[in-house]
Amino acid sequence: MNDRPGLRLRDLSRRARFGCKGPGAEDWLSGLGFRVPGGSNATAVEDRTLVARLATSEFLVEALAPGAPQIQAARAALGAPNRPHSVYPVARQDFVLDLRGPATVALLRQICSVDFAPAWMNAGADSGIVLTNMIGVGVVAWLKPDAREPALTLWLDPSYGHYFWSTLLEIGRELEGGVAVDEP
Amino acid sequence: MKRLPPVAGELIDRTRAVAFSFEGASYQGYAGDTVSSALAANGLRLIGRSFKYHRPRGLLSAANHDANAIVQVREDGRSLPNVRADVATVQPGWRMSAVNTLGGLARDRLAVLERFAAFLPVGFYYKAFGSKRLFPYWERMFRWLTGLGTVDLTAPRRVSPKRYDFCDVLVVGAGPAGLAAASAASARGASVLLVDENAAPGGSGCYARGGSSSTFDRCTALIAEIQRNPRIRLMLDACAVGYYADHWVALATPAYLVKVRARSVIITQGAFEQPAVFRGNDLPGVMLASAGQRMLYRYAVGTATQLAVLTSNAEGYAAALDAAAHGIAVRVLDLRTELGPASERQAQELVARGVTTYRGVRPIEACGSGGLASFLFQHEISGQAREERLALDGLWVSVGFAPANGLLHQAGARFRYESSVEQFVPAELPAGVYAAGKVNGVYGFEGRLEDGRYAGECARAYLAGRERPGAPPVQPAAESPTHAYPIFPHRRGKEFVDFDEDLQLRDFENACQEGFDSAELLKRYSTFGMGPSQGKHSNMNVLRILAAQLQVPIGSLAPPTARPMFHPVPMADLAGRGFTPERRTPLDGEHVALGTVWMPAGNWRRPEYYVRSGTSRETAIAEETEAVRRAVGLIDVGTLGKVEAHGPQAAEFLERAYCGRYANLKVGMTRYGLMLDETGIVIDDGVIGRLAPESFYFTTTTGNSATLFREFGRLATWWGMSVGLVNLTGHYAAFNLAGPRSREVLGSLTSLELDAAAFPYLGIRETVVAGAPCRILRVGFVGELGYEIHLPAEHAVSVWRALLAAGAPHGIRPFGVEAQRLLRLEKGHIIVGQDTDGVTHALEIDMPWAVKMDKPFFVGQRSLRVHETRPLRQRLIGFRLPVGTPRRPREGSLFIEEGRIAGRVTSVGLSPTLGRCIGLALVEPALVGRKTLSIRIAPGMQVEVEVVKPPFYDPEGHRQHGGGES
Repeated sequence: MNDRPGLRLRDLSRRARFGCKGPGAEDWLSGLGFRVPGGSNATAVEDRTLVARLATSEFLVEALAPGAPQIQAARAALGAPNRPHSVYPVARQDFVLDLRGPATVALLRQICSVDFAPAWMNAGADSGIVLTNMIGVGVVAWLKPDAREPALTLWLDPSYGHYFWSTLLEIGRELEGGVAVDEP
Repeated sequence: MKRLPPVAGELIDRTRAVAFSFEGASYQGYAGDTVSSALAANGLRLIGRSFKYHRPRGLLSAANHDANAIVQVREDGRSLPNVRADVATVQPGWRMSAVNTLGGLARDRLAVLERFAAFLPVGFYYKAFGSKRLFPYWERMFRWLTGLGTVDLTAPRRVSPKRYDFCDVLVVGAGPAGLAAASAASARGASVLLVDENAAPGGSGCYARGGSSSTFDRCTALIAEIQRNPRIRLMLDACAVGYYADHWVALATPAYLVKVRARSVIITQGAFEQPAVFRGNDLPGVMLASAGQRMLYRYAVGTATQLAVLTSNAEGYAAALDAAAHGIAVRVLDLRTELGPASERQAQELVARGVTTYRGVRPIEACGSGGLASFLFQHEISGQAREERLALDGLWVSVGFAPANGLLHQAGARFRYESSVEQFVPAELPAGVYAAGKVNGVYGFEGRLEDGRYAGECARAYLAGRERPGAPPVQPAAESPTHAYPIFPHRRGKEFVDFDEDLQLRDFENACQEGFDSAELLKRYSTFGMGPSQGKHSNMNVLRILAAQLQVPIGSLAPPTARPMFHPVPMADLAGRGFTPERRTPLDGEHVALGTVWMPAGNWRRPEYYVRSGTSRETAIAEETEAVRRAVGLIDVGTLGKVEAHGPQAAEFLERAYCGRYANLKVGMTRYGLMLDETGIVIDDGVIGRLAPESFYFTTTTGNSATLFREFGRLATWWGMSVGLVNLTGHYAAFNLAGPRSREVLGSLTSLELDAAAFPYLGIRETVVAGAPCRILRVGFVGELGYEIHLPAEHAVSVWRALLAAGAPHGIRPFGVEAQRLLRLEKGHIIVGQDTDGVTHALEIDMPWAVKMDKPFFVGQRSLRVHETRPLRQRLIGFRLPVGTPRRPREGSLFIEEGRIAGRVTSVGLSPTLGRCIGLALVEPALVGRKTLSIRIAPGMQVEVEVVKPPFYDPEGHRQHGGGES
């Protein structure tokens, strides 16, 4: 493997996560103790848990590290018959991918029509998400606040996972420094 | 033609020689030489043949627009067609030949075609193809005769990934105006991308020097400033070829296409020098003055030893000064009798250098065999016309320009004709788009700098949301750079207007007489502007000719529309890397292990069937079908669209979106759903299940899932309904366990009561199967007792394996799409998109039970009410062939009735269960009552079929209801 690859990929699909939606979703999440971001396309990170607001009343909640009892409890509550009528679960079997490395920008220039550079410059701990399309696949992109190198996490429909992964590897091999795959 | 001593600013590296061959002969150039300059430096004037008459042709513009400077390149076992000689840099080892010749460039046997010119009038293609009888003859001949380079079908694919790029201000054209614009635009921190199609910036500021170095020095200083500016990126060899909405601009680079998103765009692309139209104006040696100057200053090549400059502007005098400065014997032939101030100054300078100047010149003919040898013209001396012939090996033509405003047209700019400069100039520009320099009608060097600066400041103000910075600089034209009518007819013709298509003056005169009297009509009839240069050298002269023919001002005529691509782009670059998103179900690996043969279904890959060693495809499919009918089968249907609808208005939403009834659907039950568009056309179907009073789970067809989910969202928003939609398509797996033994197999893995009373046909239950949470739908698409199991993707593999293991004692077999198609055909179930088409409405498919016209509203209902009042266009029927019929119709085979098409087969197959061929078809309603019909299966061969009302198998539905053998 290249010691300093231009691009590093990591499959994060196995992280614990859930989605919920509905007019009561924000209050329900807050009631469970999650820090809920204020506006659409915003994120909040607390206790190694990401809460991303995908739309006015749709949320994605994901554990950023192993061991996430709060998430397991919330998933169970969502599946319980006594959950509030104004909240309903959103299945999140996403293919999740972490992208980083000095060639990340060059990669994005080939796969997405969104200019991430300004957002990176302003990325803070609660950096926003971008709902866009990459190589023909709808993705949720989260810019990672990382001073060392450009990095982002992508969530996409799992049925596109093989296509997306193999295409990124193909492009990555042509980029300066090549591509490496990190352990999940 | 020869290489000159080193010239300041030349683009060649004289320390690196490049050996190459052209038409079989070996030559040498320098690194940085274009193919054209390398050939010229070796003394070659003839570099191509014209498209129609195969006339000898040489350099014309040396600016990426020459139709006859195109070569085929062979290197390292590959062959590249249509390489543009005037911009492609020659590479070591290139073996090149001219395109469009038969027998080589020097002795092109197709040159004989010129003798038949009288039989090849304007609009020849249309006239030739007017005869239906002769159409094939002409088609074969044209296919053989025409075309430029040769595509190497064995060449490996060149992957050319497209790139996106971003900037605040995109400046297109790095001439003097572009350099000034980029510098001004960046002044307050804006990021600027400055692009130019040439190998070096500076434009005419570097090659049109007028015999001095002042403009070159100024440009060099500006370029150095730009290169030091961290906010400006300079991209060379990048041709802006298309402008799209919201300031998207496509750039063609030598290796790939770049799509640039800018917040503001400044067009400083300059102008294309235009040829004068006179007899012999296409002879090798006759070229645009700017081509001669490019050769001088970029590549240090003198294109003539005995030169004349035919001109009508100050730019021509500057060109003559440039030639004289390099020791070329030059004369000036001015079309005018009265000169403007700039021309007059330069004329005096030329006279001081001993250069002869003729005024009141009227070209008569350029003469020579295979190249220019002399020029015959008329000129005035003391008011007296006099003919004179000059022996020449070079004639530079500088009679005017056409603005390079194609991108501005695409951006939506409006233009007016400015008679002081004899060109169209922008009258109104879209927000955020600016123009400067020659494209704006500004030709003086200082004027272009000032105009560019103003455009840059405008872009800066636009980005800041401010008003424009005052009035634009006024640039009065002391003399027009362009002649109003540089067209000089000759009684023997051969005055070429369009060099790409060999169109002469008389072609346009004749076309006008035939009634093609608008630029767009004339373009299509004559094919002007449709060759490799895309009209860059001919559009304006054609407009001038058209205006003269119609006797109207040229400003009243609209130039032809300039659509993207503004400049030809290799197909590989347009194709890019070629992304084809393919979806896979979570069971993909399981199918591979089971030996599947894949087939595409929408953008999914699905098992067509599973290979069994020693059996054919047909046998494998038949065995899979039989397994479902006799025992049990398992198919992956995870590609179905899977959607949840929640909320107090979920039922009402489905009532409106589908044409069935769902408000009264009981919790725990499902119902068929048929979806129409606003015109009543059938667009999709699926199963709708009620999980709770305010929660539904429903499916769509595989191919429509993504489109329909967007449509559901649109409808919910449009109707303002309190309904939440969740797309589970990729997040959920699904498989159908079907067959008379399916209940036993499933029962071994779940505690759910599966008997018909507890879980009836069309029921839906949420339960646990093999330890995984599942939804089970009792459906009967394949006509057997069946359970469609839907579950989160993460559990798909374990449950699939558990079912196969539990089913092994019962002879379970996985089955693919082909077996499923046969099974559903036996039941007469339609597949939307196969048994319907883009015009099939709901009343034509014989499913009145699925369409509840008494509902208050559903999408398509209004149109169906109209359809109800009209005769039906087609009806869906079933048919079967006698047992043992050897020849069968195919999907798409036609029903022929009294010699006309009366219908078509939509589905057909050999039913292993029934032992005969069965099918569905859309036919004229009048045929529905017939007992037999004829289907054409081959030319002159028909087969008679029996009309049958589906289903073909288990018509009472006992088996799918779980009633056992029928």
